[in-house]
Amino acid sequence: MTRLACPFCGPRELREFEFHKTGPAAGGQGEFERVYLRVADPQLSIEHWQHVGGCRAWLLVHRNPSSGLPLAVELLAGNAP
Amino acid sequence: MSTLPASARRYSAWSLLRARYAGPGYWRPLWSGRNLQPAYDVVIVGAGGHGLATAFHLVRDHGLRRVAVLEKRLVGYGNVGRNTTIVRSNYLLPENHYFYEDALRRWETLSRELNYNVMYSPRGVLDLALTNDDFPALARRGNALRLAGIDAELLDLPALERFAPELEPRRKRRFPIVGALLQRRGGTVRHDAVAWGYARAASALGVDIIEDCEVTGVRAAGGAATGVETTRGHVQAEQIVFATAGHTGTIGTMLETALPIETHLLQAMVSEPIKPLLNSVVVYVSPGHGETYICQSDRGGLVMGGHLDGFPSYTREGAWHRLEDVVRGALELFPRIGGVKILRHWAGTNDMTMDGSPIMDRLRYDNVFVNAGWCYGGFKAIPASGAAFAQFVATGTAPELIRPFRLSRFATGHLLDETGQGPFPVRL
Repeated sequence: MTRLACPFCGPRELREFEFHKTGPAAGGQGEFERVYLRVADPQLSIEHWQHVGGCRAWLLVHRNPSSGLPLAVELLAGNAP
Repeated sequence: MSTLPASARRYSAWSLLRARYAGPGYWRPLWSGRNLQPAYDVVIVGAGGHGLATAFHLVRDHGLRRVAVLEKRLVGYGNVGRNTTIVRSNYLLPENHYFYEDALRRWETLSRELNYNVMYSPRGVLDLALTNDDFPALARRGNALRLAGIDAELLDLPALERFAPELEPRRKRRFPIVGALLQRRGGTVRHDAVAWGYARAASALGVDIIEDCEVTGVRAAGGAATGVETTRGHVQAEQIVFATAGHTGTIGTMLETALPIETHLLQAMVSEPIKPLLNSVVVYVSPGHGETYICQSDRGGLVMGGHLDGFPSYTREGAWHRLEDVVRGALELFPRIGGVKILRHWAGTNDMTMDGSPIMDRLRYDNVFVNAGWCYGGFKAIPASGAAFAQFVATGTAPELIRPFRLSRFATGHLLDETGQGPFPVRL
């Protein structure tokens, strides 16, 4: 993965983006699970990114961590996993 | 102390001399390809440094006889062959520095213990301060180490100039060097030799090292694991040890247990060989470029690394901008290497835990053990980890040295957060 497609700015160099965190393990759990635990899925990672070097929008990114390829990039607003 | 059985061929000056005249048939494979047996006392998953060292100590120190190491690909193909070969014990937290000091003491004698030259080179690890804020932080870390009886020296500019004139400490730079923390016994170890040396010693003691054998599942009955499913069929095991480095998260998924681990990439690179330039390992955080660490290999290449790429990945393809950061950091310290070419560049998958410290504990079943979460510190931990983890598996009780690394610390709040930055896998 060398670029990410911002829904507002189009495909931009990866350096412009900052990874913030992955979505928590699925299920309605407590604070501990939410903060600390992750379910490793080699095919899908749901992540928060920010386009810090561009429009500064918060993004919800679906990515395949085995191929590195982004599957979907959309505005985070109201979509926090 | 010799650890190899009499049947194994010992290496010595005499054996080298004999090999000179004995012809090409003299050298034998370092470890023998044995057949997979249907049942073992201990099955270790992953023939990297930690897995092989654990197998070696299980047989040598605890007398277990039926031990197998199963490896998806080849011995030493994973992170033990992908790191930047640095060994040191200069951690701030007592739990970490006592553990890594145990490892460093073992590195000092490992070549003799394995009868295999791992090329331990105590050339000194220098942590540079490039800002006035960094220097007191290094002093604090050094004092914590000295209180624990571990060597650490705080160097001002004249002292640094004496120890490492090649750094030109007084040179005018955008971020001038303020001082450094030195650990003289720190240095480098030939990483491949560690995998080969442990594999040879373990094999000579009767451990079955099975390459090209991927573990795909764990079979359990009555609340205990009974064996593993592999691409070569079912293998019964009294105890199972996972030492799978950057893939422990997927082991958790296999055992339906969520772990406080994310898999991230860490890059490293080596330049074309150049004449001797740098006689120590140098680590620093360059404002604006992040962390860079550099040493010069015995072949002359500059080995460099830096921060994580910063997002979860299993690809082993490093992000370009991180490579740029590391190189820029290196150039700020050594402007004269500007014309040197990068020869190779690679990435390894790192188990990043939520506090940056390892996990050595049972996982889901009483007879399943996981040796994981090594973040950046896996290679330098190998000899201590192997000895302590073998004791844990053989006796059922974790030795004092590794008890702080239990999995439950995340729930109880006994975190080992070396950088004090909270529950994030990306450590800055």
